[in-house]
Amino acid sequence: MKKTAISIAVLGFLCTSQLSYAHGIPPFLHSSCAAAELPITKVLEKLSKTTKTQVFYSVSDLEDILVDDRKVDYTSLQTTLDYLQKNYPVEFSIQNRVVTVRRTSAKPVTQNKTDKIRISKNDTIPDQEKKIEEVVLIGYGKQNKKDISGSIASIGEKDLKGVASGNFGDMIAGKATGIQITQSNANPGASPNIRIRGIGTLTAGANPLIVVDGFPLTEGTNLNSIDPNSIATIDILKDAASTAIYGSRGANGVVLIQTKEGKKGKLEYTLDSYYGIQTRSDNEKFVNAYDMATFMKEARDNNYLSKGANRSAADDNATRVSKGATLRELIPGYLTPYLNKEKGLTDTDWYSTVLKPAPMSNISLNVLGGNDKTKYSFTGSYLNQKGILIGTDYEKYSGNINLVTQMSDKLKFGVSMTPSFAQGSLFDMVNGGRTYNLLQMATTMYPFFAPRDANGNLLISQQIKANTPTDGALVENPVAIAEMTKRRYSLFKTFGNIFGEWNFLKDFKYKVSAGGDYTSYEYNFFDPSTVGSYRTAAPDVTTASRTEYITKNYLIENLLTYDKKVGDHSFNVIAGQSYQQEESNKVTTLAAGFPDNSITNIGGGTSFKVDADQYKWTLISYFSRFNYSYQGKYSFMASYRRDGSSRFGVNTKWGDFYAVSLGWTVSKENFFPKNNILDPLKFRFSVGSNGNNQIPNFGALSLMAQENYVFGGILAPGYRSSTAPNPNISWEKSESKNVGIDFGLFNKYLNVSADYYVLNRDGLLLDVPVPQQSGYSTSLQNIGKLRNNGLEIQVSLKPLHIGESFEYSNNLSFSMNKNKVLALAGGQTQIVAGANNFAITKVGESIAEMYGYNILGVYKSQTEIDNSPHISGTMVGDYIMEDLNKDGKIDTNDKKSFGSGIPKYVLGLTNSFRYENFELNFTLYSELGRKIYNGDMVSISESGEGFGVPSQYYFDNRYNPVTNPNGIYAMPNMNFSNNRKEARTSNIFFKNGDYVRLRSVKLAYNLPDQLVSKLKVKSIQLYFVGNNLLTFTSYRGQNLDANSDSILTQGYDSGYYPIAKVYSFGMNMKF
Amino acid sequence: MNKFKKMKRIYIPLLGLFLLQSCSSDLLNTSPESTKVTANFYKDEAQLEQGVNAVYASLQYNGQYQLAMPAIGEIPSDNTFDEVPANDSFTYGEFDFFTIQPNNSLLGSTWKDHYVGIQQANIVLNRIGGIAMDQTLKNTRTGEMKFLRALMYFNLVRIFGDVPLVTKETTDVNEYFGQGRTPVETVYDFIETELKASIDLLPATASQKGRVTQGAALGVLGKVLMTRNRYSEALPYLQKIEPLGYSLLTDVTKIFDPSNKNNAEIIFDVQFTSGLNGNTEGSQAYQMFSPSGFISGAKGHNLPTKEVYAVFSSGDLRRNAFVGLTLSGVPYSKKLVKTSDAIVDGGSNTVVLRLADVFLLMAECYAKTNNFTSSNLYLNKIKTRAGLTPVNLSGEQQLLDEIALERRKELVGEGHRWFDLVRTGKAISIMTAHFQNTPGYNTAVIKSYNLLMPVPQSQINTDPAIKQNPGY
Repeated sequence: MKKTAISIAVLGFLCTSQLSYAHGIPPFLHSSCAAAELPITKVLEKLSKTTKTQVFYSVSDLEDILVDDRKVDYTSLQTTLDYLQKNYPVEFSIQNRVVTVRRTSAKPVTQNKTDKIRISKNDTIPDQEKKIEEVVLIGYGKQNKKDISGSIASIGEKDLKGVASGNFGDMIAGKATGIQITQSNANPGASPNIRIRGIGTLTAGANPLIVVDGFPLTEGTNLNSIDPNSIATIDILKDAASTAIYGSRGANGVVLIQTKEGKKGKLEYTLDSYYGIQTRSDNEKFVNAYDMATFMKEARDNNYLSKGANRSAADDNATRVSKGATLRELIPGYLTPYLNKEKGLTDTDWYSTVLKPAPMSNISLNVLGGNDKTKYSFTGSYLNQKGILIGTDYEKYSGNINLVTQMSDKLKFGVSMTPSFAQGSLFDMVNGGRTYNLLQMATTMYPFFAPRDANGNLLISQQIKANTPTDGALVENPVAIAEMTKRRYSLFKTFGNIFGEWNFLKDFKYKVSAGGDYTSYEYNFFDPSTVGSYRTAAPDVTTASRTEYITKNYLIENLLTYDKKVGDHSFNVIAGQSYQQEESNKVTTLAAGFPDNSITNIGGGTSFKVDADQYKWTLISYFSRFNYSYQGKYSFMASYRRDGSSRFGVNTKWGDFYAVSLGWTVSKENFFPKNNILDPLKFRFSVGSNGNNQIPNFGALSLMAQENYVFGGILAPGYRSSTAPNPNISWEKSESKNVGIDFGLFNKYLNVSADYYVLNRDGLLLDVPVPQQSGYSTSLQNIGKLRNNGLEIQVSLKPLHIGESFEYSNNLSFSMNKNKVLALAGGQTQIVAGANNFAITKVGESIAEMYGYNILGVYKSQTEIDNSPHISGTMVGDYIMEDLNKDGKIDTNDKKSFGSGIPKYVLGLTNSFRYENFELNFTLYSELGRKIYNGDMVSISESGEGFGVPSQYYFDNRYNPVTNPNGIYAMPNMNFSNNRKEARTSNIFFKNGDYVRLRSVKLAYNLPDQLVSKLKVKSIQLYFVGNNLLTFTSYRGQNLDANSDSILTQGYDSGYYPIAKVYSFGMNMKF
Repeated sequence: MNKFKKMKRIYIPLLGLFLLQSCSSDLLNTSPESTKVTANFYKDEAQLEQGVNAVYASLQYNGQYQLAMPAIGEIPSDNTFDEVPANDSFTYGEFDFFTIQPNNSLLGSTWKDHYVGIQQANIVLNRIGGIAMDQTLKNTRTGEMKFLRALMYFNLVRIFGDVPLVTKETTDVNEYFGQGRTPVETVYDFIETELKASIDLLPATASQKGRVTQGAALGVLGKVLMTRNRYSEALPYLQKIEPLGYSLLTDVTKIFDPSNKNNAEIIFDVQFTSGLNGNTEGSQAYQMFSPSGFISGAKGHNLPTKEVYAVFSSGDLRRNAFVGLTLSGVPYSKKLVKTSDAIVDGGSNTVVLRLADVFLLMAECYAKTNNFTSSNLYLNKIKTRAGLTPVNLSGEQQLLDEIALERRKELVGEGHRWFDLVRTGKAISIMTAHFQNTPGYNTAVIKSYNLLMPVPQSQINTDPAIKQNPGY
């Protein structure tokens, strides 16, 4: 056990100012020792004496390292450490009064190893240094981790290293408990969804507040605007006690991001560059052209046969027409060669045609440096990514500057800036439908048609023209849509703040900061008449639009801090005030009446519709917090915040939020038996309140919508009341309790941190469906009640050393969350929402339960139908629905819940291995206990409706009285009976969405020191990174992370942009 | 001294800390700068006119006259059918086969869009009293609102039966929970009262094409009374319409000609225009109600049946004027015309009431009140114009049958046939026969409960006090 201990020398000193005292050491103390080579431990011991600081050390880690004693300058701690680091395989870091020294290379040091100067091993770390003083960001400040009594997940720089991705979500997924990361629409550059401790709201925003270097970003900020290479640490505040300091914005949790800070010493450059290939990661497989022909024939025959007597599948089209057949009962002529199994016919796999391997590359440079007064860090990155969906790409230039300068011993100034510029092309995957969502188009584009002719020219409107006589699927060639339409956006964003800090009295600090967040967005859309659209062959009408907005957000903050240590008592008190406001202006211009396609933007139009939108919100806050800690044994925190927001009704502008938390490190008590089995042991308890203010800016007012009319061809402008007023609207109030325990087991071999929480949200902002005779469909009200409770366990293994060159560590996180709706609006018992009304949110159940019929099988005869309750119009080959309430008829009352799209369990496992110069890290991420409802499967690929292209799975499992009498899926039939329509919400379409994914894997090789020093650089690392390389799931749809933005329809997938596998190779060089 | 100096330092940050406190309450009052707020609106004549226009605009909604009224008024009947029932998730096909489900989205928008219009009219009627404006104009606008609100309720009761009756501006949306459906007779009484009031308020001719006039109110009131089987009461109102200056066009092809909108025969129609305001003032009816493949994007809903096409005799001028045949022989309504390449921006108006309709209603009233001479007279006005030989029928039933046939032909594609069948009690017998005689409809069945449509499931989900119609 002793062998495996981390050996760390911790040098504790009270504050940095003591460093300067060290400068005053008289030169006579300078070592004149004759012995040149000393073990580094001796050097550190000596240094501690000369600089009047105490050195604790444990030798096993630093064993064998001999230092040329003559070159050590014992008068300056900093100089010595710099010298040691430069010449020996050690590194140190000073963080908040703590210096940590580690060995950087595991190799034995061969030079002049003598037995004589070995000193006794002492692996039993003294009590005082048991806890490494990790520092955690808390709202408006930092705190030692040991004094934390709330619930905060920290992701340090080390954890962030194992990832090479342009996406912020990849950096934190699986690394902390209580955090769910999904990518509902994995467009390159799309922001991930972050959910902290489940979903606590129904119709207000569920995004956490993001604070970068103290600046709270605009809601809905694309997190990819933050350059991942500039991030030093991420701390996630989860319980109300930790977030209450953010008051009305804290209820969904707070993500605090600290960008890299400069450090004193020589300039350090880090250059990181990688190149990667992205490929499909979904399991979709569609039938080929021959199976498609069989399927279409069956669907059309069955439709024909189901609507009249004296009909036969052998009837030709003319006979069918004479017997009253409608278009979808005819057999398209182009099927014949396929049905005759002729060889060598066109057989396009459209899915693979629109989803192609795509490259991405990134280069980033970070410069760290500083001197006694000034420290700075600059980061600049360039990312270029093509999407796996053709016609999509993303390019981003981003940077970060973090500069702090000590003007005098009392005055400090700092700047943090994060500018970024991104541009790219995208498709509207949510609303694009079969006109612009290429994936939905690909499932409706028959394999009989090709994207290009033999000469490589795009084939336009081929399917539309071929299918018009029989009303088959009528979509435009998706490749033509990708290549011929323009859908380009650009996003310029810069945010940051500037602060001044004045140490105006002993122990008192005053900090004033001013921040800003500026966003400018432009989107240009152009669809020429030369390419068709859904159901419309080219030439059609040219359309174009332009959307532009500018959003400006300002913050002014005053903060007073009192920091005092009296004996064993330490106090930290803050009082502050902030004012934040945001203004936004948006203009959307829709152009029509293009005489031709020569001008490819709105400028070519002759008729325009302009929508202007403008908003402003303001938030005024006063806050205060008191922290107290005694001997690191007891800690206490209390905070209070008062927020005033413009978003709320006149009667409810102001709200108060409070929190209290306690921490007790039992193992420090005298009565606690000293032992190696259980130590340390700490209990945490917190209770607090906060709020969620993410509602529309003018939700309290009855707003009007433009509603024009024409009298005799002349436009008559009109305005109608479009939203219901509510002067009492206010924030959602959240109250949460958190009980936590932290303990180390077996000489801290295993470190466990567990939290149990109950989160009650009251006055839920609910867009309540109201009886429509009111003239409104919904009304925003503070009416609901919701409870989330859950358990989070984080287990980390102390790095395990096997021999000297192998190291292993891991970290397991487990989160369980359960939500329950406790109340909706008065008289309201449920909210039914989503495509085909698939989701129900009901009092007593979880949010967005998937709700539908229970399918018992497929009807195989008319007698079976006649003898069981069924929906009118049910046919042979349709689904048998269970009459749940046994009332002899099938209706809405026979629907039940089959589970929700919100996962019950989220697991993450991070493993790190190091052997010699190799490092291997990988993260597994898993969501369990969730369902997915796929709109595309329901209406196309597994519906058997005969319109689009079926999945191979449906085709192989469809009921056919002859070829597959035991099939589980309904018979192909274009008749589309009510039974089929209703069965769209049933258990056969509520798919199991459980998955385990190898979210990231990194294999790195550090070039040997000899080679590196020859190249005059500090280090070179070559690496391979894979994202999402493996996914274990039974789900067959496009995007496993499927999650619509609407909380009430969680787990909805419908041709959403799929997650890609990424294989990248890169290099990281420090010099 | 030093201590004092130090003490002074603390005031500076404290000053900064409370700097903003004084002006805080003002900072929290923001209001939208590009959106209007209902509470501050409808304060003067110009604003009131915008409110009035919005009520008219609601007529253009899909759930009112753009799609729902023509479709629900005719697809269930033997006059029109759904060529591709599965299109748009079977929404229109359900009406063709009487497999109508409570979650039918067209019925959902019908309910919703009518109540949006009704509420907007309620707001205008609530505010108009306090606005300083010319009294005549005030009367006219009041009449327009009362008429439109009554028309919307008339459509709702014809489709759903009992519906919640709301006649005031909504101040608290929650008070409607538990209201439930108002008995159909109460709603009809309200409609009648309102229409009668609007007749006195409305001018004979409107200042602008497309506005509600006295003729519209008289005609709709007549139809309401006939729906309530009060033929003799209806007659005097209907008789007053023609003298207001309406006349039958001699050329039937001109009635629905987009270049001849709002002509002398039109009493009230819902206005659409192509190519206006970024193509947002047109209708998608032309796209939805054209045969599949006839124009790009066509959905094949609500097409005239081959049966109705065959009902026209070859000499009937209306056959070619009102119904066309595609190359493959699929009938389509010529009452909707292509006016733009942007097919969802159709410029054909939806006619709500025209003189031919009124004449046939009058003929029916005369037949019911045993004035066969007048009945023949008004019936023959329609027949003659269509190029048919006049008749002289002497039995009430004979006349009623002939009038029903003329209504069927004259008004094909205008969304009246289904309501006529229900009003005259013929729906079940005629539709049962139609299904038996039409290939592909052998499995379709109509039951007595089908005379009313199901109430949207979403409304029952929202408030269980809203009960479903029996049978659904």
